[in-house]
Amino acid sequence: MSDEHTPHEPDERPRRPGERPPAADARSAAGDERAGQEERSAAAERPGRDEPAAGDGAGADGADGSPRGAGGGAAGGGDGDGGSARDGGNGGDTTRNGRRRLADGLWPPRLSRAQLIVALLLFVLGLGLAIQVRTTSDNGALRGARQEDLVRILTELDNRSQRLEDEKRGLDSQRSQLESSSNQAAEALKQTQQKEAELGVLAGTVQAQGPGITLTITDPHGSVQADSLLDTLQELRAAGAEAIQIDNVRVVADTYFTQGADGVLIDGHKLSQPYVFKVIGNPQDLEPALNIPGGVVQTLEKEQATADVVRSQKIVVDALRPSKQPDYARSSQ
Amino acid sequence: MIAVLGLVVGIVVGLVVHPVVPSGVEPYLPIAVVAALDAVFGGLRAMLDGIFDDKVFVVSFLSNVVVAALIVFLGDKLGVGSQLSTGVVVVLGIRIFSNAAAIRRHVFRA
Repeated sequence: MSDEHTPHEPDERPRRPGERPPAADARSAAGDERAGQEERSAAAERPGRDEPAAGDGAGADGADGSPRGAGGGAAGGGDGDGGSARDGGNGGDTTRNGRRRLADGLWPPRLSRAQLIVALLLFVLGLGLAIQVRTTSDNGALRGARQEDLVRILTELDNRSQRLEDEKRGLDSQRSQLESSSNQAAEALKQTQQKEAELGVLAGTVQAQGPGITLTITDPHGSVQADSLLDTLQELRAAGAEAIQIDNVRVVADTYFTQGADGVLIDGHKLSQPYVFKVIGNPQDLEPALNIPGGVVQTLEKEQATADVVRSQKIVVDALRPSKQPDYARSSQ
Repeated sequence: MIAVLGLVVGIVVGLVVHPVVPSGVEPYLPIAVVAALDAVFGGLRAMLDGIFDDKVFVVSFLSNVVVAALIVFLGDKLGVGSQLSTGVVVVLGIRIFSNAAAIRRHVFRA
């Protein structure tokens, strides 16, 4: 290294603030900043008066201090631009000095203005570090999430709380009606009947009507299989269908499709062409769900069948199912 | 020694007291901490070089923190906050590494 013997040696103890460092020391620091090897060795041979020029080369931080020479001669190093990483070592003498300086700085503790100020700043740093580590480890899952994900999660939570709020309100009003009604038995009966009607729609024991769509699948070649119809049904359910009837069969939870020798059977009944789905639900949800690219309608068309969706404000689902009494399951309420 | 004590006390206080950061400052805290770390490493290196100066350290510490926070703030306003934060962290990380290399040479002669 060209600067192995730059005169650091006389300066073995740590420098107090304000104490003037030897010119060569400051110069080598300034040289460490940016200058290349040759430039620095040249600078090392120059006497102290060249220092401002070397400082100029040291970039903004160094320029701040080096030209001042005196107390600020250390400026470049104070900010510690990492130029000397390229130096490949400063040689053994500097190393020994560095160690000694470190040891001197650590022990014995000296109460000086510099120490106090640095301590204060380091206190702030430690505080910030601890706070940051703490907040980061507090809610780890959400912190790493991207903004879009956070927005989606927030929206979902909002919707969920909205639904729960609605449910709570409904239950509250039910309770207050039950409590305040003069004829509590009649009120309970009314609510039970309402519940029965709701569940009846689900179980297929009562007729249902409301807005929805009619899906007509015409399959002249007989190429539509049971699984296609099942896909269609699932798509409708996913889109929020509340009551479905296929031809004359009410679709309920345990409805099944089978592939017979001469066509598709639903719950054991042979389906006749065309297959007509009467679906009650929000038409604005149901129709796009069937028509999305790669969705049911396109798939059916690929199988040489045509699917026709018609929205309607009044769909009547009138096919019924007998209510079944479970043999083993009993209500636990 | 007192400086090291300051750091330790700061960490302990931060962990124990659990102070609440105002939400306006929260996004800038991590980047400011990294900038401060950079200044501290620079200061440590300067001390090993024998050219440490407390005034320079204070100024560089504060200006590092302020500039880093400012860059992130500006990035947030321009809609490139995360990218700019990454840039700042990369630059500061490079500086920390090179300062650490200089310190290592001083301490371990390698």
